[in-house]
Amino acid sequence: MAGDSTGGALPTSPFERISRSYNAAGFLPVLLTVLVIAFAIFIPNFLAVQNILNVLRSSSYLVIVAAGQMLVLIVGGFDLSQGAVVALTSVSSALVMAGLKDTLAAEPGLIILAGILAGLACGAVVGLVNGVCVAFLRISPFMVTLGTMSIGTGFALLLTSGIPVYGMPKSFVDGFGRGLWLQLPVPFYLAAAIVAVMWLMQNYTRMGRYIFAIGGNIQAAIISGVPAKTYLILAYVMCSMLASISGLALTAQIGSGQAVINPQLTLESIAAAVIAGVSIKGGVGRVEMVALGAILLLTLTDAMDLLKIDPRIQAIFLGIIVVLAVALDEFSKRRAALV
Amino acid sequence: MSDVNVSGTSLASGPRQAERRNTLRWGFTLLLPLVIVAMELAVSLVEPRVLSPRNVVNILVQSSYLLLFASAQMVVILTGGFDLSLGMAVSAISVATALVTTGLAAAGTPMWLVVLAGIAVGLGFGLLVGLFNGLFVSWLGINPFVVTLGSLNICYGLATTISGGRPVFNVPDAFSRLLYDGNFIPEIPIPITLAAVVALLLYLLLDHTVFGRSLYLIGNNPRAAHLAGLPSKRYLTLAYILCALLAAFGSLMLTARTGSGEPNLGGSLMLESIAAAVIGGVSLQGGIGGIVPVILGTLFVTMLSNAMDLLEVGGYVQQILLGCVIIGAIFLDRIRVTRT
Repeated sequence: MAGDSTGGALPTSPFERISRSYNAAGFLPVLLTVLVIAFAIFIPNFLAVQNILNVLRSSSYLVIVAAGQMLVLIVGGFDLSQGAVVALTSVSSALVMAGLKDTLAAEPGLIILAGILAGLACGAVVGLVNGVCVAFLRISPFMVTLGTMSIGTGFALLLTSGIPVYGMPKSFVDGFGRGLWLQLPVPFYLAAAIVAVMWLMQNYTRMGRYIFAIGGNIQAAIISGVPAKTYLILAYVMCSMLASISGLALTAQIGSGQAVINPQLTLESIAAAVIAGVSIKGGVGRVEMVALGAILLLTLTDAMDLLKIDPRIQAIFLGIIVVLAVALDEFSKRRAALV
Repeated sequence: MSDVNVSGTSLASGPRQAERRNTLRWGFTLLLPLVIVAMELAVSLVEPRVLSPRNVVNILVQSSYLLLFASAQMVVILTGGFDLSLGMAVSAISVATALVTTGLAAAGTPMWLVVLAGIAVGLGFGLLVGLFNGLFVSWLGINPFVVTLGSLNICYGLATTISGGRPVFNVPDAFSRLLYDGNFIPEIPIPITLAAVVALLLYLLLDHTVFGRSLYLIGNNPRAAHLAGLPSKRYLTLAYILCALLAAFGSLMLTARTGSGEPNLGGSLMLESIAAAVIGGVSLQGGIGGIVPVILGTLFVTMLSNAMDLLEVGGYVQQILLGCVIIGAIFLDRIRVTRT
């Protein structure tokens, strides 16, 4: 943001130009480029088409979830319930589709529509509960979403007794979840579209500015006439619905509704956002960076998979990387503040 | 958010309003104990076994473990942080202790040395985790959420790799005898004695030492603490170390109880410990809390799940109810903080 706002004077020397664009973008793009080049040189199969498709596909889900997490972080909150929303969406959409399988056998399109609506409704409800509790009851977002996480997971398990739900239309699984479009996985387009829309929202709409304003200083925002409560709730609803969308895509890819999809997803989404420079204190965060953060995490995971590193040791690496990335960011900010 | 209004009204309030606030404050202080008693009485009408001496002892033993973890969490929550790594640290410590004790016992080391080494390894591991969290939070100024998220992953990786993901069985009996089976005081199970001693020490530490009082100030107003000349960074680091040591001690007690090192031991502990502390009235904003609220919160959480177990409520429904209770408790806490 600092880079954009001081864009008046033209940079004079090439060095200055580089350092300015570095300051604007942060160290994340540089880190990602360096890592990709290093992996391409040292890991034989890294640049294979199949592997690139894998990374794109698996990071799409995280990009969508992390974009939602970013919104809530910007307004100074948290959403621990995202993983539960993904599970609840997966279970309820699969149950609806499996339930309508016989009655609407001739119309797979309608079945899919009903499933998607059921999934999104779950996201909307959880988001609304989160938002209302935070905005009107003023409960700490950490505890609210901790509560809804417990409730959501409980319902997802209760609905299925922990058993996967099968019986979704073939076109949902093969066309949407596992399909390729112009050689690229369908979820990739979904993620790209969501990032584009969020980018426009953040940069060119009133809503984007209001959300930054609320996170920056909620008192000031209210005094300047921002309907803060409405936008707070909106941020939580959007966050949960993005988790729902990701849940639908994941369900379609797995081919069944699961109450336990990816227990690490919530923490990963927070990690991706935080690596991308989203401040936990609110007011700062850009969706394109968050997308890069998610891709960085998944690229690292993929490289470690290719190197046949035990997934349990991968967890250690990821932990160290998250802390170091934030520490580096903190240092560069402090240095900038001194200059 | 509405703190501005609230302080405005309190300035203008007369003696009657002050009196009402006082009544409210007492009401809130007595609320949780009353709820606990009411809940037990109500459940005992349906299921008399709830109040049987055996079940009461059972509840107390259960809560002694949670009490250690919740008070560990409370120490860092007081400073305005929290520790997400607690549950996984408990797992990793349990596995490490079990590996060391079984290994030494197999090599024919004298028992007292085995037990001593097990305790030293467990507490040493805790010290390292606390040092990691504390240094990153206080000296580098990184948000506790991020730091402890990182150490959560690291501990998870360690817990599962050093054990190969499987429980480590055959922890020597002497270890279990010291921390679980035996008696210091006749008729009182050791976990209860240990938890009571820890609670007493924590009470003295928080209420009667400079370090303890400073934690409250650091949580309330870090800037004031700094300006008052407190060594905030050192105290903050110490708070995280204390938290990890308490968790490590709890982990040793749990390992002694199960007789094995379990990589899945701490799975739900992180959330349970935060929930118990916060339900008792420890504020996530920092600066408000103490050992008594933690004891009450711990008893409430343990009794609730014990009652639901006896009433044969399913695990999934229990999870849903616990979520509702957490939100309800925080809501009440919010009212308490703003109205009194």
